[in-house]
Amino acid sequence: MVLLVYLGTDLLAAWGLNLEFGVAGVANFAYIVLVAARAYLYAAFTLGPPAASGSFQQYIIGARLPVALAIILAALICGALGCLIGVTGLKRLRADYQAMVMLVISILATTVVGADSGLFNGNLGLSLIPNPLASLGDASRGWWYVALVAAACLAGWLALRRFTGGPLGRALRAMREDEDAATAVGKNVVGLRLAVQAAGGAYAGLSGALLAGFIGGWSPSSWEYVETLALLTAIIVGGIGNDAGVAVGVVIVPVLILQGAQFLPQFQSSPELASDLGWIVLGLLTIAFVFARPQGLVAERRPRHAPAGQDAAQAPPGGARPASTVAALIALPRPAAAPKAAGAAASGRPAALSVEGLVKRFGGVRAVDGATFEAEPGEITGLIGPNGAGKSTALALISGFLRPDGGRVRVEGRDVTALPAHRRARLGIVRIFQLPREFGALTTIENLLVAAPRQRGESAAGVLAGRWLWRRQEEELVERATALLTLFGMAGKRDERAGRLSGGQKRLLEVMRALMAQPRLLLLDEPMAGLAPALAEQLEEACLALAGAGLSILLVEHELRAVERLCAKVVVMAQGTVISQGRMAELRTRKEVQDAYVVG
Amino acid sequence: MRLLIESLGFGIASGAIIALGAVGFTVQFGISNVLNITYGALMTLAAYLGYALLGAGVNVWVAMAVAAAAIAIASALLNRGLIAPLVRRGTGFVGVVIVTVSAGIIIQYCIVAIAGADTISYGQQAGSTVSGAGFVFTTSQLVIIAITVAVMLALHLLLTRTQLGRAMRATSANPVVARSCGIRTDRVTDLAWLITGALCGAAGVALAISTVTFDFTIGPTFLIYMIAAAVLGGIGQPYGAMLGGLVVGVVSQVAAAYTSPAYQDAYAFAVLVLVLMLRPRGLFASGAAARRLTRA
Repeated sequence: MVLLVYLGTDLLAAWGLNLEFGVAGVANFAYIVLVAARAYLYAAFTLGPPAASGSFQQYIIGARLPVALAIILAALICGALGCLIGVTGLKRLRADYQAMVMLVISILATTVVGADSGLFNGNLGLSLIPNPLASLGDASRGWWYVALVAAACLAGWLALRRFTGGPLGRALRAMREDEDAATAVGKNVVGLRLAVQAAGGAYAGLSGALLAGFIGGWSPSSWEYVETLALLTAIIVGGIGNDAGVAVGVVIVPVLILQGAQFLPQFQSSPELASDLGWIVLGLLTIAFVFARPQGLVAERRPRHAPAGQDAAQAPPGGARPASTVAALIALPRPAAAPKAAGAAASGRPAALSVEGLVKRFGGVRAVDGATFEAEPGEITGLIGPNGAGKSTALALISGFLRPDGGRVRVEGRDVTALPAHRRARLGIVRIFQLPREFGALTTIENLLVAAPRQRGESAAGVLAGRWLWRRQEEELVERATALLTLFGMAGKRDERAGRLSGGQKRLLEVMRALMAQPRLLLLDEPMAGLAPALAEQLEEACLALAGAGLSILLVEHELRAVERLCAKVVVMAQGTVISQGRMAELRTRKEVQDAYVVG
Repeated sequence: MRLLIESLGFGIASGAIIALGAVGFTVQFGISNVLNITYGALMTLAAYLGYALLGAGVNVWVAMAVAAAAIAIASALLNRGLIAPLVRRGTGFVGVVIVTVSAGIIIQYCIVAIAGADTISYGQQAGSTVSGAGFVFTTSQLVIIAITVAVMLALHLLLTRTQLGRAMRATSANPVVARSCGIRTDRVTDLAWLITGALCGAAGVALAISTVTFDFTIGPTFLIYMIAAAVLGGIGQPYGAMLGGLVVGVVSQVAAAYTSPAYQDAYAFAVLVLVLMLRPRGLFASGAAARRLTRA
């Protein structure tokens, strides 16, 4: 019975941590601190003032609140605490660096709470914490408590399905795979992470309150940093990102190894040795699984999207594409698709992109030094120049991945200089990375689906209301994604994990994903580099078709023949500034351009 | 004023130990691109080895040398058997951290299973004190400071004057290029883990000497100070870690002297958080290694 309660509370905590670590990729080594904080808060809210209980223990608050109110209050504070710990993620530290900082937080929290006897009675901990079911008699209470914990687990499971089962879960897993790529398709990585940490904190808190209420006591030795590792081991053994797998892991790891060992007859005499050995086994188990079976006993599910009736083999790979089909697929807004013959500039339509006096310094180096140029709507504008001219930096400044030290970026007349990268992506400024950055663990079609903007299933409303709110939209997206896959001859790879595609296929996937994000201005960084001639040609055709459909494209490329063929206007950069612009044929004759390329 | 100078002295003494440990931690990261959390547990192991040797009647400084040698070997084995294979098979950064934490926990609970969880003490007499200009040092503190200075000098000469040192710095800056230049990076890495393991062991015994009593959590707790020092100096930078160790030692001791010693760990942590928020690549230099950890 005691084991069942432990099982339930551990399960809740492990689910919460799996949400953060398994689904969203945040290795929160301070997780147990949240469990602890909730347990303490629950205790401090429900206990009476210290003096009333004979002053044998000291603590703050002591409000003697009703149990339900205490649980709600503690949950709110815990959510805030979860966000606070999440703030460490704002500085964009590498994942292991972040994990280390959280580990330090965890060690420190135990030490400080243990040393400060005024806060929660120091190392001795709190005792006589009221049981939530105190009104029931002692004899019958036990099984009712098991039922209470089981109900909490059931609710937790259902909430989890809501949270991660739909488009939001897909966005979170995309973030886990590659934060920059997720940002490039308009995901607010910081916001998503905070949401996950708040939700994970809620699970931690529920687990902590139930545990403290059951044991009746809580002290620093209950929540040393190693406890987080026990939960992590459960997740790694069970299956990272798979909630059912985690349940299996929890049965094996914390319950059987840590709690169960002391019931073995050999260890009856020395329970402490049993728990020491338990920890050693646990450590070995973690290492063994990371080495031999990193996906865990039950691997993450790979969702299958039923074919929507089309035959995959029908599409001619790389055949000519009518511009209207492409335009429909990427859902270009009407005005952009207006005939170009009218003359874009003359009709008063603002430039697709206008860069003014852009400056970016790295230490003493001025990588971009006052660059000014425009790109016309519905055209492919080339950006060329010798290595080190500042082309890629300029692209990063336009897409928002770097902050300029000076100058403005306007897109279709709108000043976006102050907007973060994911907001720009939502406005239609979509970049394609030089080296493909697919979401490896997601399937090909999921890679596309995740890029679609304004998904209802990603919003708070979508999570609360459930599937009926976003099912229609999801069906439309699946249809659009399938059509794109067919168009690029990759329908056969629909449910394949993207990490297993070939290099060329990944490049195409990158393009399709960008198109799925409904771009208005596409930024391409050397898309032809290292591509086989046939594939490069296919990509060139696609670019022409897209521009024909009204999409504006900025193309950074070293392959000058491709630039000449594709681009109406070419901008030449050297040493951070624009030295010339015009048609490629003219540029070839200009002295400054030749000098830049020869001298570098 | 007296309090300030006295705590300053304490700060320098504890800063020496922090520097000793932090340099090893930071060099390991520079060479292997791995944040080795096991480092703390290996320090604990060194402290307990020293305790066992003292119990067998060995001189404390000899015990320190033996423990340093033992931990050096353990550290090299850890790299060979666990870290290097993981890095080779492309396990993610978080996976590696989890493995180093697990390895640390295995070591920690092996110690508990053998030596028990009770606090122990080297039982060393503080010995005579040396005072001057208001500072008061015990002789063992002075010896530790001297050892630290000597080790730092030796490390400096190793890194700048020897072929091995140049190979280590090259591997740290760019392992792929180093390998294609004919540097046997795996052997360089092994040697680096051997040397840093010796630093770890020496720091562990030095820490045990300077604290009155300790238990099996001594290493992981001290890790806070070493990480703060390494991050302050720009992680991966040995000279930064030396200076960072001194700063963290002085700041935490002085702040603790003026408030409460209970919060000494918290002050070290505050230094860490401040640096992370303001200059995540460190105060003194931002080398290639620190850039690997932070974006934008």
